[in-house]
Amino acid sequence: MADIRDILDIEQPAQEITRDSIIHGDKVRKKYATAKTVKRPEGMHREVFALLCNDNKELPPLLPTDTGKAYKEKKARLGMRKVRKWVWAPFTNPARKDHAVFYHWKRAADEAKEYPFAQFNKQVSIPTYSESEYNQYLKCEDWSQAETDHLMDLCQRFDLRFIVIHDRWDRAAFRDRSVEDLKERYYNISAILSKLKTNPWSNTITTPGGEKRIYQYDAEHERKRKEQLQRLFERTQEQIEEEQMLLAELKKIEARKRERERKTQDLQKLISRADSGAPASQINNGDGAPGTPTAAANLARRHDKKFHKKKLPTQQRPARVVENVTVEWSGIRFPEARGAGVGLRSQRMKLPPGVGQRKTKAIEHELRQLNIELAPTPTEDICKHFNELRSDLALSIDLKNALASYEFELQALRHQYEAVNPGKTLVIPASLCSSVAEADTKPVGEIIDVVGSPSMPNN
Amino acid sequence: MSLPTDFGPDSGGRIKGLVIVKPIVYGNIAKYFGKKREEDGHTHQWTVYLKPYNNEDMTGYVKKVHFKLHESYANPNRIVLKPPYELTETGWGEFEIVIKIYFHDPNERPVTLYHILKLFQSPVNEGAPPTVGRALVSEGYEEIVFQEPTQLMQHLLMNVKPLTSGKWKHETDFEEKKETTLEKILTAKTKVRNEITELKDKLKLAKDTISKFKEEIAKVQNSSGALLQIA
Repeated sequence: MADIRDILDIEQPAQEITRDSIIHGDKVRKKYATAKTVKRPEGMHREVFALLCNDNKELPPLLPTDTGKAYKEKKARLGMRKVRKWVWAPFTNPARKDHAVFYHWKRAADEAKEYPFAQFNKQVSIPTYSESEYNQYLKCEDWSQAETDHLMDLCQRFDLRFIVIHDRWDRAAFRDRSVEDLKERYYNISAILSKLKTNPWSNTITTPGGEKRIYQYDAEHERKRKEQLQRLFERTQEQIEEEQMLLAELKKIEARKRERERKTQDLQKLISRADSGAPASQINNGDGAPGTPTAAANLARRHDKKFHKKKLPTQQRPARVVENVTVEWSGIRFPEARGAGVGLRSQRMKLPPGVGQRKTKAIEHELRQLNIELAPTPTEDICKHFNELRSDLALSIDLKNALASYEFELQALRHQYEAVNPGKTLVIPASLCSSVAEADTKPVGEIIDVVGSPSMPNN
Repeated sequence: MSLPTDFGPDSGGRIKGLVIVKPIVYGNIAKYFGKKREEDGHTHQWTVYLKPYNNEDMTGYVKKVHFKLHESYANPNRIVLKPPYELTETGWGEFEIVIKIYFHDPNERPVTLYHILKLFQSPVNEGAPPTVGRALVSEGYEEIVFQEPTQLMQHLLMNVKPLTSGKWKHETDFEEKKETTLEKILTAKTKVRNEITELKDKLKLAKDTISKFKEEIAKVQNSSGALLQIA
């Protein structure tokens, strides 16, 4: 009965009288009660907690609960062979020169064998030279023979661990030298000697062809490398932040550049389409010379300077395109009436797909200002005039934008003039100043964008 | 209707240069029940319609009119073969009705109109809730343009009978609307044209001023450069 209750997780309704409950009934109940209250500590994963406490919320047993009724498992698989013997034996390390005797456990069977780790004690062979060799080949203005000898001695002692050699350098007898100096001197000597003696010094590398190549130590490069690392390490927090900021800025600039190039390409397409398609645009603003930079172009350049700090040569190209384009103003060209078939008149008033979202919005805004329905009653006359009106509106929006950028440039030129010629100024014609204020009320970003996006005038 | 027999399927060549225009009016009229109907929550009875703008019988050239209602209506595709081309239903919501007009000549493709069923007064025009009895009308004018119709179609279009001997009029006075709209557009056009001329003048002035400014700056820079050389 109690087992079923346990399985179904039903609490014991009353104390059943068993042997167990008589012996330590109180304890069992108390344990049960405390276990119930155990809550999962914050931050502990549910799975981990489940390992600690099972469904019954019982704490894991501290003592083994093995009652001995289950099958016993073997602790280890033991072979039937005889156990090999271990002995505490003395050994000498052949890598050591002092013949020191140490003791360790080893198998009795391995008694005769040499200490196996001795093979890892590799010795570097350091080139040697005689007095006459030194005088003949190795003389150096910067290094005395005594100092060189000291270096070679340390190299031998510390197996070319130059950091250690540098540490142990006899600063009392010789002047302090950098790690690079020490290395440079050592590798130079070693190179010269290996040429002389064709001895297989450690610093020669056998190429696949079989000839020996001498290791060249580039001290200058090493010095620079370390200096660079040092600088990198010594950057302040501000410098790190600045770098990150600049990197983000660079990314933005590149994105902007890509955007502009994309727009330029779109524009190029538009221009070629306009050139090949319709006759010369009905409106010509009089700027015929394609060589003279227009306001938009100049502004675009100035814009570059301001935001990019330096003008990238590739950005001149899009700017020049702008010059040509600003001349090519035209309204919207509505497609001619379709060929044979039935159609609705109102379809004639659909803006052609070439007109962008932005332009459409601007035109709709203007129409609302003029109190004209966006979809007027479609008679033939109304369709015709409505389309012409919208074409004119598109043109006037373009012209306004162009004028705004011209005014912007005028202001800029005036500032430039005032800068080079202090105390004097240029007078902008009054008729142009009026809309400057208008342009100023626009957010600066928009003005810049208008100029920065060359596709705008023909959009 | 008696069709001349010499219009075979092959004689349906199109008549070059001919354009026939058939003005139409389409829309809906809606009436508020006055309260929400208990059994289905419907609030309005409405009628969507398509009718000729002029007093003429469209059966001559229109084969059928297909109204496509919202999916929630039982068999939402309703086909009307004879005038009046209209459909009355009840409902509680506004949705887009697709009206497709099929012609007798299968060589002429059907035309499709879209009408937003209107039940409620726009709050901009009138803040008052819909009133019982007084119906709300939302209709539009459209012109079906037959560019170079087939011979058969031309014959059908040219020979239409009047729909009624009485007066044929619409809820909305489209003639007046056409007139005022055209007037407004023309006025606006003149205004914008003037603006454009003005803008072009300004642009020219701006351009000239810019080159003038540039010259000035170049002059100043040259002279200062010369000064520097002397110094």
